[in-house]
Amino acid sequence: MTAPVASGSHHRPVVRVGDALSIPYSRRGVVVFAVLVLVIAAVAVITLTAGRLGIELPNLLPALLSDPGGKEGFVLGRLRGPRLAVAVATGATLGVAGTLFQTVTRNPLGSPDVIGLGAGAAAGAAAAGLLWPGVIPIPAGALLGASIAMAAVWLGTGRGFSSPSRFIIVGIGVSAMGYAFTQYVIARSGREQATVLASYLNGTLASRSWGDAAVIWAALAVLLPAALLLGRRLLLIEMGDETADALGGRSGRTRLLSIAVAVCLSAAAVSVAGPVAFVALTAPQIARRLGRMAGAGIVLSAATGALLLATADLLVQQAPFDVHLPVGILTAAVGGVYLGYLLIREWKKGTI
Amino acid sequence: MASILQAERLRLAYDDRVVIDNLSIDIPDGGFTIIVGPNACGKSTLLKALARTLRPAAGRVLLAGKPIDSFRSKHVARQLAMLPQSPISPEAITVRDLVGRGRYPHQTLLRQWSRADDAAVAGAMMATGVEDLADRPVGALSGGQRQRVWIAMVLAQQTGLLLLDEPTTFLDIAHQYDVLELCARLHQDGRTLVAVLHDLNQAARYATNLVAMSRGEIVAQGPPGDVLTAELVERVFGLRCRVLTDPEAGSPMIVPLASARRYDAGQR
Ligand SMILES: Nc1ncnc2c1ncn2[C@@H]1O[C@H](COP(=O)(O)OP(=O)(O)OP(=O)(O)O)[C@@H](O)[C@H]1O
Ligand SMILES: [Mg+2]
Repeated sequence: MTAPVASGSHHRPVVRVGDALSIPYSRRGVVVFAVLVLVIAAVAVITLTAGRLGIELPNLLPALLSDPGGKEGFVLGRLRGPRLAVAVATGATLGVAGTLFQTVTRNPLGSPDVIGLGAGAAAGAAAAGLLWPGVIPIPAGALLGASIAMAAVWLGTGRGFSSPSRFIIVGIGVSAMGYAFTQYVIARSGREQATVLASYLNGTLASRSWGDAAVIWAALAVLLPAALLLGRRLLLIEMGDETADALGGRSGRTRLLSIAVAVCLSAAAVSVAGPVAFVALTAPQIARRLGRMAGAGIVLSAATGALLLATADLLVQQAPFDVHLPVGILTAAVGGVYLGYLLIREWKKGTI
Repeated sequence: MASILQAERLRLAYDDRVVIDNLSIDIPDGGFTIIVGPNACGKSTLLKALARTLRPAAGRVLLAGKPIDSFRSKHVARQLAMLPQSPISPEAITVRDLVGRGRYPHQTLLRQWSRADDAAVAGAMMATGVEDLADRPVGALSGGQRQRVWIAMVLAQQTGLLLLDEPTTFLDIAHQYDVLELCARLHQDGRTLVAVLHDLNQAARYATNLVAMSRGEIVAQGPPGDVLTAELVERVFGLRCRVLTDPEAGSPMIVPLASARRYDAGQR
């Protein structure tokens, strides 16, 4: 076997190992990914060092390498460490879920936020937490709610997931029903519980534990490779179901599998952070523009999502607000503007 | 001639709307079959069923004598390529990348881009004359350029069977004949072609097997000299015409009567 070489100057660059392995890549994509990782690392350092409770920069590396006690141990092990770990993985999870959905619907609006998945997961989580506490765990409730929402969309379109525009329109309706159900649950429950839940339902990363971090990283470790395995067939779906099928890409099955993976990703994200709005909507679009490439861009979307959420959470932690703002409110405010822009653009194009 | 692709008693429907019922057709191996017929008569629908992108409500399609669904999907895609009537170009994709997507059925998880893929893409772009556009985004091309890029995508698939739904739409007259000549060359090299065309004279000149459809049925089929008659054109298209001989190719050629659509056209 020969060593890996990048070949093909005039053609696309490809990593080759002999004849057995050949994987094409985009040079720009690799550079953008490396830059994103560096910026995420920088945001992580600032998150751990900034502010009154921050670990002083010179002490950060020793604290990370040893098992510190005292203030450093508290900040790293309890206050900010797990929260940061959850933010990065949840952002990545949402980025991947968003790119899967946008590709199978062939529409930038086809994101879990818009089509009822987030709302369904939130309703499920609310039901599990307040209506029937202790019967099913909250993550399972979120998954159940997300699955029910998707089943409702599937039935509501009248032809499954094969018509992207119907998918989005029905999804918006299902989304509204999900929110209505959540409000109903909140109205029914006691005041204190409802306050806790309300903050959760905006999407928050405050007081996350290493347990939460383990859940979301494990979900990412399983589901990201699954998404990557679907990646090449997703590229074919972009060219329309007919062309994808003609090329042997089996669009129906690809779409179903992708949606299943995206539902699990979204449910995992909701179960640890609540329905953080609009990261799934924006991350894939930003990634696509940064990478300047066609295609699902799964890895770049993951990195962009991680960066967005880690940055947003840093802002809410350090911003001089009197209250501890849930990070979801910040992402909703910023993402809402973007959603408005998208709606206008798509409306002008005549696709909705 | 043996049939490489056959359809037996097909019923094709969209939801509950039946477009084609009880249609059978044999595609001769090594032939150039051209399907003609008025708008909405079901030509594209038939082509989709032959390419197994539309599942028949009844009946079946046979590839080399075996039901087409009995093969693995990628295996079929190495034998049979299809150009849809209105394919979707992904946002921001370059010409080279779009053509490269035609290589999917030849690739595996570990071998995602072999040297044969490079060669096939280069060859397909050369054959359709789009090499100079290789790095342009497909969205920024003219309709005719884009059509040729899509044909290149299908050629990159390197299949023995090609189904082309209106490959000449959007093209100026010179490029129409470029594409038809390319088809003729592919046919001479031994490939089997099926194309939908609207221009009857082009169809008669290039087809070895001309199929005329009307309202979901095959009205006539065979060598163009036998099929293309004035009665047929009037019956299928409601157009009165004379049939002459194409002085260049010797094939039949239709010339519509003056005021042909008027029923008093007899009093010329
Ligand atoms: N995706 C679809 N859903 C529902 N009905 C369809 C669909 N595609 C085609 N039809 C209908 O099926 C009939 C046959 O359409 P088809 O596209 O096969 O016609 P065609 O012969 O290719 O016409 P043209 O020359 O205009 O391309 C038409 O009445 C059309 O309205
Ligand atoms: Mg058609």
